[in-house]
Amino acid sequence: MMNMAIQFLLAMFATCGFCIIFRVPVKKIIWCMIIGGFGWIAYQLGLFYGNSPAVSCFFGSCVVGILSNLASRFIKEASTIFIIPSIICLVPGSNIYYTMESLIHEDTGEFASHVTTTLLMAGTIAAGLLITGSITQMIRSIARKTIRQK
Amino acid sequence: MINPYQKKILLLAVHAGEIMLKNGAETSRVEDTITRICKACRIDRIETFATPTGIFISLDKGGENDDTQTFIKRIRGTTTDLNKVSKINSFSREFTTTDLTVEAGVESLKEIENEKPYPMPVRMLGAAMIAAFFSVIFGGGASDFCVALIDGVLCYTLSCFLSKYPINPFIISFCCCGVAAFIALLAATTVPGASYSSIIIGTLMIFVPGVAITNSIRDFLSGDMLSGVSRMMEAFLIAVSLASGVGFVMKIWVMLGGITL
Repeated sequence: MMNMAIQFLLAMFATCGFCIIFRVPVKKIIWCMIIGGFGWIAYQLGLFYGNSPAVSCFFGSCVVGILSNLASRFIKEASTIFIIPSIICLVPGSNIYYTMESLIHEDTGEFASHVTTTLLMAGTIAAGLLITGSITQMIRSIARKTIRQK
Repeated sequence: MINPYQKKILLLAVHAGEIMLKNGAETSRVEDTITRICKACRIDRIETFATPTGIFISLDKGGENDDTQTFIKRIRGTTTDLNKVSKINSFSREFTTTDLTVEAGVESLKEIENEKPYPMPVRMLGAAMIAAFFSVIFGGGASDFCVALIDGVLCYTLSCFLSKYPINPFIISFCCCGVAAFIALLAATTVPGASYSSIIIGTLMIFVPGVAITNSIRDFLSGDMLSGVSRMMEAFLIAVSLASGVGFVMKIWVMLGGITL
């Protein structure tokens, strides 16, 4: 549990760094940090309960997607501004490196497995964001229709 | 006949779209903004088509004798500045709900466009934070933290310096990751307790194509297949150039030093 808290803080500060580079409006940086932290924690919890990195990445990106869409609804800001800095923690930068390392060691078996993991993680990030995004779109259109009918 | 008022609106809308597209907004948002600005000025028939490299707009008044006007804007070079995206978003909302004149709109767009990013030392701090904290997340210790801090600052400064010149972005990320790997390998041999892999991963995260991935997914979500595919390809190429930058330096290190990694 202690470990998770440390991971949360680390991910928060890393997200803050991205917020500075991408120049997120100052007042929204704290929200991005929180969303990034929770996304990373969801990924870590997924790994903790014995899921593969790809599936855990899916959980992480779902959490980021849901929280970002909620934040964009309540803070009146485009949801991209929350998604871009906070999803980057989940992008498989480490797997890109491990892929290269195994290529240098000429370990083709490792190389193939790392490439597959990297591509799967990228794919599941996409899937998580797509699913949460389309669900919010659906909810929005349903809400609009019910408001019109009244 | 070209109506000067219409042309002004067209230029305003294109300018707004250009700023958004250059600073990391997804294409559907750009198209939506352009359409909203034109509709607010009572131009009913408007079609826009935006891709990551260009905006196409055509509009007409709808009458039988009215001409159709088309405008194509080529977009070159992208940075990421989410503050500009956010400001133009609220600008378009303001422009459509209040009766702002077109001239005032042009003025405020110019103001938004000329905004500077955060000062360089602050951005360096941001890059240092990314590199240092990610190196700890991926299993680094205290000395890795310190080395990654320096490594991140140096590589980010290098990327800012290189992007002032007309160099392909893939080459820039290749060079930056090569330098990052070199510094990490150097530190691993000199600094006690430093491991090169966590430092390299931390520094790599600064250049990871997060914006391209996110925007490509959002483009797919709104049905813009063309921009989705092109951004996905961009993300893939950036990832390949990152990996090859690191791999190139590590291979040369092994060849020259003969040290097994």
